[in-house]
Parts: sequence; structure tokens; C-alpha cells
Amino acid sequence: MLNEVYLMSSLPSLSFGQTPPIAFEEFNHMAKSELSARSFKVLEQVSMRGMDGKSSKTKLKSMNKMQSGLLKDISEIRNSRTEKRQVSLALLPDTVLEVNPLDREMQIMQWQWENLDALVSGKSFTLTDVIIYKLKLQLLFRMHSFSIERGECVLDSVVNPDKKKKD
Amino acid sequence: MASLKIKYTKTERARQKKILKVSERMLPLFEAMEKSLMATILSISEKIEEIRAAIEKNRRAVKPWLAVMGDEWVDVNEYISVNKTITHPVDVAGIRMEQFERVDFNEIAVSPDTPLWVDDALIHMREQLQLLAEIKCLEEQIKLLEEELLDVRARVKLFENRRIPNAKTAIRKIGQKLQDDERLTIATAKVVKTSAVKR
Repeated sequence: MLNEVYLMSSLPSLSFGQTPPIAFEEFNHMAKSELSARSFKVLEQVSMRGMDGKSSKTKLKSMNKMQSGLLKDISEIRNSRTEKRQVSLALLPDTVLEVNPLDREMQIMQWQWENLDALVSGKSFTLTDVIIYKLKLQLLFRMHSFSIERGECVLDSVVNPDKKKKD
Repeated sequence: MASLKIKYTKTERARQKKILKVSERMLPLFEAMEKSLMATILSISEKIEEIRAAIEKNRRAVKPWLAVMGDEWVDVNEYISVNKTITHPVDVAGIRMEQFERVDFNEIAVSPDTPLWVDDALIHMREQLQLLAEIKCLEEQIKLLEEELLDVRARVKLFENRRIPNAKTAIRKIGQKLQDDERLTIATAKVVKTSAVKR
């Protein structure tokens, strides 16, 4: 417990939309040196990217529930598009349907962020707090990767692969 | 033109007249073909411009959300690539060429945890790739038409500058020579006749 307190006090605070204040490797290094091997193993297994909503581990249950709800809503949006019918969202706000893909992704991430905040309330300085910190840091890094220059490169790599080779 | 060798015979004159007649009949046909090829090239170029405008319009439409394609969690290249461009043969201005039909894509279905923006990006990329492939086909058509146009232009020049003037010159020169020969024959005959009468 004390280790978690020390770790969480040493880490910079995170707010939605900011540039990641700490490198991921640094976070991992700090966590590895402060947490027990068992706790660090749990932390290593958790990731926003791989979360499919099926894990049964107690610490991850609530996070997976949130993720599985999100995936259901995303599926619902996809199905409504193919079936050309009205969308009925269970968790996400209806505004995600009215905005462009970038703003929609940002709204979804904000929703995830707020839900992660809700999950950590009352569990300050615990392993859950550290896990949530990691997930939020991942969200910040993802958000930070949204750049017009990178987007252009990705689009060109698909649409104009010859141009990319010439460059 | 200077080195033009002419046989001053009636047969040669008849042959040159035939060449002139055929050349004068062929020239308008080649000129019409030249015009038709130029018009076709122009219309294909206009179509290419229209497609380029459509590509630009799509690009502008995507610009407000282009940044999301930089998402480090997704490699959109995994989801779509061009397998091949499907075309069918057509005759354009009398030339056999390939007409764009559609693009066959290698596509991987998105998984449930794939971010939603990928769906929109794939729609955009599919459309842009189709338009670019169509431009490539049309440019290939223009290349073939331009090769044909060069050939036709060479023929027009050949008829205009060589065959028709050469035939006309040959006919004129043979005519003059034959007339001179005729006058000479008549004059010789008269001289012979006069000297025969004197004796």
C-alpha cells in the first residue's frame, strides 16, 4: 500500500487533452521499482488496446465491463450503418453520431476517461489507482498521436504508395 | 524535291496522276482522323481534370478529421490494399484500349475493437483509390492516342509536303517534256518535208 502511495505521489497528475507529462517507459520503470512483482505483473497485463471486455480478473472486471459496453455501442453503430436504421446507444452520448470521425474518437476517449475517473473514486493510492493511471496515460499518448502530418502520411501510404516510395 | 528522278513517259505520267488522285482522297481522311484523335484526347484530359477535382474535393472533406488517421493504435494499411484494376477492352477513335471498370481490393474486415474512424477512413480510401486508378487508365489511353496522333500527323505531312507536291511536279514536268518532244518531232518533220520539197 505504501509503495502505491509513494508511486502515485511521485507521478505527475493527468488531465484530459494534455500532452503526456511522462514517457511510458519512465512510468513503467517507476512502477516496476515501487510495486511488488505480483502487482507489477497485473499492471503489465492491463492495456486499453487489448481490452476486449472478457477478462475475469477482479481488478479488471469493472474496467472490462466499461470496455464491453463501449464495444457493444460501437457494434451497434456499425450494424445500424449496414442495416440503414436508427442507432440506439446504451452508453455513449448521442452526440458521437453527429460529429466527424476525429471529434467522435475524442468524445469516445473523453467518455472512457470519465468512466476511468469514476472507477478510481474512493480507491486512491491503491493498485487500481495505478492501473487507471496507466490506462489514462495510454489514452493521452493515443490522443497525442492524432496529428495532421501523421494522418497525411498514413493516408498517402495507402492512397499514393508510389509517392511514398519516391519520397 | 531536288533529287526527284522522273521517267518522262506517258505511263509514268499516268502513274503519277493515280498517286495524286489517291493522295488527294486520303489526305482529308487523315486530317479528319487527326481532328478526331485531338478531340478525343481533349475530352479524356477534361475527364481526368474532373476526376482530379473530385479527388481534391474528397481530400478537403477529410481534412477536418485527417489527424485521427495518425492513431498509433491502428495500422490502416493492414485493412486495405489494391489487388488489381479491372478493365475491359474498347475501341476509342478506332484504337483498341482498356476502359476502367473498377478496382479489386484486398480487404480485411474490421474487428469489433477496431476504432470507428477506420470505417470512415476505409470508405474515403476506397473512393480515392478508385478515382486514382481511373486516372491511370485514362492517362494510358491518352498515351496510346498520342502515339497514334503522331503517326497520323506524320502521314498528313507526308501527303501535304511530299506525295501531293511531288506528284504534281512530276505530272507538270512530264507534260512539258512530252510537249517539247512533240514540238521537236513536228519541227523535225517540217524541216525534213521542206528540204525534200526544195530538192
